[in-house]
Amino acid sequence: MKTVLQVDGLKKTYGTLEALKGVSFEVHEGEIFGLIGPNGAGKTTTLRIISTLLSPSGGMVVLNGFDLKKNPEKFRELISYLPEEAGAYRNLTGMDYLRFMSNFYAETAERSEEYINRAVAIAELGNRLDEKVGTYSKGMVRKLLLARALMTKPVLTILDEPTSGLDVINSMEVREIIKKFSREGISVLLSSHNMLEVEFLSSRVALINRGIILDTGTPQELKEKYSAPNLEVVFRSALQ
Amino acid sequence: MKKFFNLLRKEIKELVTLQLFISLLFTIGLFYFIGQMAKKEIKKAMTVQKVSVLDLDQSPLSKSLLDNLRLMNFQVEFSKTAGQEEAIQSAKDSDANLLLVIPGGFGESVSKFEMQPIETYTFLRSFSISGTKNSAILGAVVKAVNSYISDDFLKKKFPDMNPDNLKNPIKSRDYVIVKNRMAEGSASSVTSFVYSQSIVVPIILMMIIIYSSQMVISAIAMEKQNKTLETLLTVPIGRTSIVSAKMLASGLVGLISAIIYMIGFKYYMGGLMSDVPVAANIGNVIHKLGLSLSANGYILLGISLFAAILCALALATILGVLAEDYRSAQSLLMPVIFLVMIPYFISFFSDMNSLSVPLKVFILAIPFTHPFLATQNILLENYQSIFLGILYMLIFFAVLVFIAARIFSTDKVLTMKLKWRRKRLLF
Repeated sequence: MKTVLQVDGLKKTYGTLEALKGVSFEVHEGEIFGLIGPNGAGKTTTLRIISTLLSPSGGMVVLNGFDLKKNPEKFRELISYLPEEAGAYRNLTGMDYLRFMSNFYAETAERSEEYINRAVAIAELGNRLDEKVGTYSKGMVRKLLLARALMTKPVLTILDEPTSGLDVINSMEVREIIKKFSREGISVLLSSHNMLEVEFLSSRVALINRGIILDTGTPQELKEKYSAPNLEVVFRSALQ
Repeated sequence: MKKFFNLLRKEIKELVTLQLFISLLFTIGLFYFIGQMAKKEIKKAMTVQKVSVLDLDQSPLSKSLLDNLRLMNFQVEFSKTAGQEEAIQSAKDSDANLLLVIPGGFGESVSKFEMQPIETYTFLRSFSISGTKNSAILGAVVKAVNSYISDDFLKKKFPDMNPDNLKNPIKSRDYVIVKNRMAEGSASSVTSFVYSQSIVVPIILMMIIIYSSQMVISAIAMEKQNKTLETLLTVPIGRTSIVSAKMLASGLVGLISAIIYMIGFKYYMGGLMSDVPVAANIGNVIHKLGLSLSANGYILLGISLFAAILCALALATILGVLAEDYRSAQSLLMPVIFLVMIPYFISFFSDMNSLSVPLKVFILAIPFTHPFLATQNILLENYQSIFLGILYMLIFFAVLVFIAARIFSTDKVLTMKLKWRRKRLLF
């Protein structure tokens, strides 16, 4: 299977604090790769580095053959990042927001329309897309942002806590959207501290704690390895 | 460029809100209203004013005094009462604002040069312009009558002499020299005319700088507060374009807002100044001295203003990065306001050349000082100072843009914060 993203010995320090101490993993084409760990484990820092928001202190990140340090612009063309608790511009309508974002990726007006139509279908917000984002509920904003992240069918979609702060119904809908797009061949790298959610979504997972990857594998492989009924127990066992 | 204009369009859409329109319309309306009110008051002050008169003398001199009052646009109404107390009470009850009491024997005592004062009573029914102007006019009338009486006396005693030469044996002819041009006139009236003509420049500048800076700081802070900055930084557009789009949008909206404010201000000033006659000869003096801005002068002033706006926008961009949210952004505007206020007040109340060297260096190091000084430097043809000021501002701007672009290209755009409690910068 083709490797889309390769992360090797990734390090990040903030002053004297070592947030990442040599994180390594790979994401293959068409898979959902989940990073799971408690708060402060280094999940968001890893995703922010891959998204070109933070610069790494050491190690290597390669996406489709492009090195992060040498080609951050190429990374931005190939990825789509949905941060945790992200927002949209409150004074723009949902449609204006999608048009604004699609114009960064689309070379032609036809391609832009194609992206917008795809986003409209993903978001399922109907006529509310013509209203200002400031009037949306949290769930609606999250769906709009997820639609934005997926509309260009990027090489790698990076989702940080995709269902954070959402109710059960909205969380289920968001998970379904991610699953559906993964089946269409999109590679997804997501992080969550909700291990059951990651178990449901991910093809493979990496357990991360205090800036170190504890183990990597499919949820089934990990459950068998640690003789655990779910990933929560796997994580506790891996810590020991 | 397509991506840049996409971003610029969004930035402008974000800034031009209904609230901004309402605020601008309200301000124009308010300025217009105040201007019209002031105009009305001034007109009222210039219309025929009633003066109640109790003439207990009835001499030719008292009649001459009242004729002079009529010439000064006063409507003289004789009090029907016999005594002073009753006259005061009667005037108080009427709508007259002035009461003039000419005592008996006034004409005779004046002809003997024995002092016998006339009495004036001003009823202050409000503190408006028209309410206070009457007593000043009356004072001028008394002065004119004094001059008339003394001139008359001197003419009788010294028929071959000009009374004015006797009263003012030393006369002066005042000349004003600017560079190599000279004109006859008073330095104070030239200064106050130039001041009144150029007062509007620092006001425009201050408004544009504060407006645009506030917009940039708020735009960046709002991106942080609404959690949209992280997404924006991961889309395929250069970081420099993100910084420039924000600066350009804020500059454009700030400029348009300032122009709209100035239209309102013009209404206000127009209302205030429209009916005030300007001394005719001052125009000639100003023309002779070359103290009016030529087309080239306006272009130079425009370049200086533009350079200052660029500096303000770049400075605001850096400060905006330090803000965590919209509230902290408002506090961060304070340094910009101070940097604008210092040269603003210095340009009004002090002469740069009379300041001590360290203070002068400090003031000149503030980039916003230069456009404040530009008007007088253009008028006084100190072109070297203007060009050096513009050059300094452009260098200052380039350094700030470099710093801003560096910040946006690194982690610092997300990690740099100003912690007020710890009072230090965190990187």
